Amino acid sequence: MRKGSCSEEVCFDLLNQLEHLLESDPLIDEVGFIHPSQFTLLDKESGSVTDGSSPSFWNQDHKLGISTDILIQLCKDAKHAFLSTFKEYKCLENASTCESPTKNISSSGVSSCSLESRVMKHSQALLLLSSDFGTAWNARKLILSKQDQPLEAFTEELRLSKPVLSNCPKSEPTWSHRRWIIKMISRSFPTPQLQEIITKESELVESIGERSKMNYRAWYHRCWLVSYMTTEQVLQELKKSKRWAGLHVADSSCFHYRRRLMLRVLETHNVEGSNAYDKTEAHKIWKEELDWNKELVERYLGREALWLHRRFLSLNWIMHFGRNHSSETGQRMVMNEEIVTFVDKEIHLLESCMTVPDTKFEDFQAQALHAAVYMLWLTKNVPELWRMLEEKLGTEKIKCILNTVAQERPTSLLHQLDIFAADLEH
Amino acid sequence: MSSSSSTFQMGQLVADKHVRYILMSEKKESFESVVMDHLRMNGAYWGLTTLDLLDKLGSVSVNEVVSWLMTCQHESGGFAGNTGHDPHVLYTLSAVQILALFDKLDILDVGKVSSYVAGLQNEDGSFSGDIWGEVDTRFSYIAICCLSILKCLDKINVEKAVDYIVSCKNLDGGFGCTPGAESHAGQIFCCVGALAITGSLHHVDKDLLGWWLCERQVKSGGLNGRPEKLPDVCYSWWVLSSLIMIDRVHWIDKAKLVKFILDCQDLENGGISDRPDDAVDIFHTYFGVAGLSLLEYPGVKAIDPAYALPVDVINRILLTK
Repeated sequence: MRKGSCSEEVCFDLLNQLEHLLESDPLIDEVGFIHPSQFTLLDKESGSVTDGSSPSFWNQDHKLGISTDILIQLCKDAKHAFLSTFKEYKCLENASTCESPTKNISSSGVSSCSLESRVMKHSQALLLLSSDFGTAWNARKLILSKQDQPLEAFTEELRLSKPVLSNCPKSEPTWSHRRWIIKMISRSFPTPQLQEIITKESELVESIGERSKMNYRAWYHRCWLVSYMTTEQVLQELKKSKRWAGLHVADSSCFHYRRRLMLRVLETHNVEGSNAYDKTEAHKIWKEELDWNKELVERYLGREALWLHRRFLSLNWIMHFGRNHSSETGQRMVMNEEIVTFVDKEIHLLESCMTVPDTKFEDFQAQALHAAVYMLWLTKNVPELWRMLEEKLGTEKIKCILNTVAQERPTSLLHQLDIFAADLEH
Repeated sequence: MSSSSSTFQMGQLVADKHVRYILMSEKKESFESVVMDHLRMNGAYWGLTTLDLLDKLGSVSVNEVVSWLMTCQHESGGFAGNTGHDPHVLYTLSAVQILALFDKLDILDVGKVSSYVAGLQNEDGSFSGDIWGEVDTRFSYIAICCLSILKCLDKINVEKAVDYIVSCKNLDGGFGCTPGAESHAGQIFCCVGALAITGSLHHVDKDLLGWWLCERQVKSGGLNGRPEKLPDVCYSWWVLSSLIMIDRVHWIDKAKLVKFILDCQDLENGGISDRPDDAVDIFHTYFGVAGLSLLEYPGVKAIDPAYALPVDVINRILLTK
């Protein structure tokens, strides 16, 4: 694969610089691609003069900037260096079957160990430039899984992939690599260390979620962590993620994370079949979440993510805490008193949200729509609610709710509305 | 249907320019093109399928594509995203789809490819993407779609595969990448597509899922992939194909969506972007044209919503022994 007689050491001057930087400052935690004109600005901000560093890179306080002018060349060099070294490495691994010039190299003293470190070095540089380069992540996995590695080898790998996420927070192969490392750790090392890593990992997602909004991959990673959490950790996470969620009410993914935690609470306390009046921990947590969500719904008007969270909370509340003990064997669900009160309150919330003071104010209209659709959605899932709605609101108000939905979503929910319209006839 | 009159004020699909854009796209070098190099196989599938939908597949050299494609195959039977890279199901499906487009499936060692894919099924029915074990319902779809095209579905435990997908269903009717993961339109397409191919759509609560999917349409007519997100042309494919498979496509305003997609075209240089006035790329060009195909836009060939290949290609494969 190598071109002519040029060795990688001579050819890849820029790459050497980058790799040297990474080696000399192992604590780099953030990487970014910046226009060279920004370099002097960054120097001023940090109040320092770059001490003879090249105009291609900027490195202060463990933050690394790479000039956009050299990106294409640097990336091509890194790719070439990695792919040829990795090929050599694989050949050496299968030395008996592979007919390649590397055989001579290996016999002339290039040990598999130094090849390994070169694969690690080149792949690290490459992944900072091209985070989705799956083969480079795989090469690292291959080397890490070879012999019994100490815990530090894996925690170091978690640390090394952090700056990649700082630049590419949505990189799926990077998140996947972290999951692989955590799985490796969970197989070979004792629980307390794993728990600490899980907690740190969860904090990492939150800090990345701050800079990269509604990042599905990051929040999926956090949800994935839940299965490794102890019950105590689940409860802590519920508390810890609350403040962040309250400040990011449009981020549906962070509310999904809470849903994942809430379901773990249900599982743990095995709520199915237990007495609905039991003031279990789950009951208390669920109630708190419902109350808190209502506060947010009333404070931040027209937020889809908050209303969707309420759909989940209310439906589960009715399904898990609303059954009378006696009704479990029956076909039809019988509402207990607590649920009747709950539904009363929800109808009241709906009515207050349907009051649009100024028709030109979009937030109020959105709030009315979300409230109306929320109630219809609940009713679709729990048909028994329909009768309660009719009793409380009367036909006129129900028509008003249906109209609100029909105005905003001309054809979308027509099918559902047909059912209700037919119901109105009877 | 009342809104169909607005079709007349709409811009047109500049098909010739999109064809030119696709044919030129490999020639320009940018940082984006360099970092996309590892998924060239996916890029080739997006570009070539778009060309076929626009009836211009004849303008590429079949031999050139196929000989490069075969350099990406590994001993294991799986394909890499480009020469010298590791194999993964993501690229294996694209390779099989490209060969299907060219009617060249016969050059494959079907036994080998299908063994690679089938070998990635786990005990619980799920699929890993490669030997490193990441599990995702995307990989379930890829495996099922790929094996169905190769007529080797009997090599996997279909029942378990279906059970696993069903276990990823959420309370909102949608699906995520693993059990308990957030619903996402792209994952929903994968799960619904896999269930459609295996004849298991009865597991889907169509009204509930249809409700979630049609709430993805925003005021501009475009579709988003999750709540509170901006619309994006690629969801014209993922949301729309899912709605078609569960027979609820009449729940969205199709005319407004057509307009949204057409507004995302670069009328001068060709190509389609995620949103109006953004930079175009091959990924969104494919999803835009594929979306228009599902919307029965004139001059675009029909595409199969589950296999993501032109209907005539799928018929050619499935109707022959």
